[in-house]
Amino acid sequence: MSTKTKNGHSGVKAEHYKGTTYKVSIKRQATPDAPSRTEVFELPYRKGLNITSVLGDIAMEPVNASGAETTAISYDANCLEEICGSCAMLINGKARMACSALVDKLLAEAGGDTITLAPLSKFPVVRDLAVDRSVLFENLKAVKAWVPIDGSYDLGPGPKQFPQIQEARYPLSNCISCTICMEVCPQFNDQTNFVGAATIAQARLFNMDPSGAVLKEERLRALAGDGGVQECGYAQNCVQACPKQLPLTEAISDISRDVIVQKVKDFFVR
Amino acid sequence: MGAVAGVAPPDNSTRRRGVQPLRAGQGHEFLLRKLHSLSGIVPIGAFLVEHIISNFELVHGPLAYAQQVKFLNGLPLVRVLEWAFIFIPLLYHAGFGVFITFRGRANVNVYPWAGNWMYVWQRISGLIAFAYIIQHVWRQRFAGVSLPEHPGFAYSKVQMELAHPWMLAIYVIAMVATCFHFAYGIWLFAAKWGITPGDNARKKSAWVCGAVGSALCAMGLVSIFWVAYAKQYPIQDVMPAQPNGVVMPTVPTVNGAADYPTTNSAGQQVAPNGVPQQ
Repeated sequence: MSTKTKNGHSGVKAEHYKGTTYKVSIKRQATPDAPSRTEVFELPYRKGLNITSVLGDIAMEPVNASGAETTAISYDANCLEEICGSCAMLINGKARMACSALVDKLLAEAGGDTITLAPLSKFPVVRDLAVDRSVLFENLKAVKAWVPIDGSYDLGPGPKQFPQIQEARYPLSNCISCTICMEVCPQFNDQTNFVGAATIAQARLFNMDPSGAVLKEERLRALAGDGGVQECGYAQNCVQACPKQLPLTEAISDISRDVIVQKVKDFFVR
Repeated sequence: MGAVAGVAPPDNSTRRRGVQPLRAGQGHEFLLRKLHSLSGIVPIGAFLVEHIISNFELVHGPLAYAQQVKFLNGLPLVRVLEWAFIFIPLLYHAGFGVFITFRGRANVNVYPWAGNWMYVWQRISGLIAFAYIIQHVWRQRFAGVSLPEHPGFAYSKVQMELAHPWMLAIYVIAMVATCFHFAYGIWLFAAKWGITPGDNARKKSAWVCGAVGSALCAMGLVSIFWVAYAKQYPIQDVMPAQPNGVVMPTVPTVNGAADYPTTNSAGQQVAPNGVPQQ
């Protein structure tokens, strides 16, 4: 039954599973401090499943492959259409969005009848596949990734934004904060405490905003701190893995230059 | 107290484990990282280019190579230059590079992408170069006959070293690793200092860096194999009458013999360069 798929993976044709079952092996953990264990589920195959619908199937009838009653899998999900950024997890070992990960493709890629699911490896597990990704929120706050428009009076209309700037900013505005760029980064770990590509890209997005540029220097100085943009090793995994195709390496390059210029300027004129 | 239903949701306000947030504007790692990056290009990269070009004089034979060694060792304040622009930056670059290497978590087994492989190879080639350079500096610069004082021995010292097949293999591996590390280092420098942010710019930069690295590597390998497979040259000083470095001028005495040659090859009397008397 083994055949070559379009991607060059040696796999099994999806039709093979018609009227049959497939297995999902899930790394589970009851609490943040509990030891992890692996639970296997055997589910009836349907065409066009994605991983969130698989997890939904399990929740409807939480019985594992050995027939034992168990609990439904905890995981983060919201929009189910790759726009909210909640459902990132390790699927067949690789970080991707559960909503856009299709069972047919995953089975072909795995070359067997088992799909593995695990929580993102670089974030503290809350339960099962749900992880605490608040470090990204903390990082976005640290670089002031916003446009300061609040005042005690009406600030009036903002400056005009040229279409060229809009076009450069739009791809960066597509970030869904899924943290996949951070998960796949060899430099993002508890030794370097690197800030990660997403935050750097957002700093770039708001630095290019005519109103947001007022905080540009503060953002650049923040990113020169320990764990800042200098920790990037340019493995470029972020830009490969990003589900929204953000120009992350370009943003890192641009921000690096801006940070260097800012630090040199600060050294001589402050 | 009775049965308590449910568990409090995790406190996200304080993160005690996992990767910690950015220490905005704190610490000195930015400066250390940038110094590491810059030192790889100037002065270490510049020295590597000089070293490979100088070594290419090996193909012109022992005297030409000896003259090259003498020229370099005759540079003003050469020992200061050597420590300030070679040894100290090299030690810093290597030491901090090892620190960087062991703080990374390579994941090329999971994500076998080109950039990720280069990330790994840059670290492996750096470690190879560091290990090689330690033994190379020790054996060629500090141990054995001192070339700064006797540049005439340079050719035979190198030839003796490469006479061992395993040492020849080490030199070839190290040459490839070092040139790769330098070439990809230039590419990384351009990418990380914001010189080549765009995808196309980085592609073009890759071609340029690849060409520079390949040319340097080819020159280095030609020098290595040239001297390794050349006819064994006798171990002798090819420039015995040309002491290097600072030589105190001696005033020739009428009766006493001078401690430098006083006749040229034709047997004619030559005077030492006049030292202006104050």
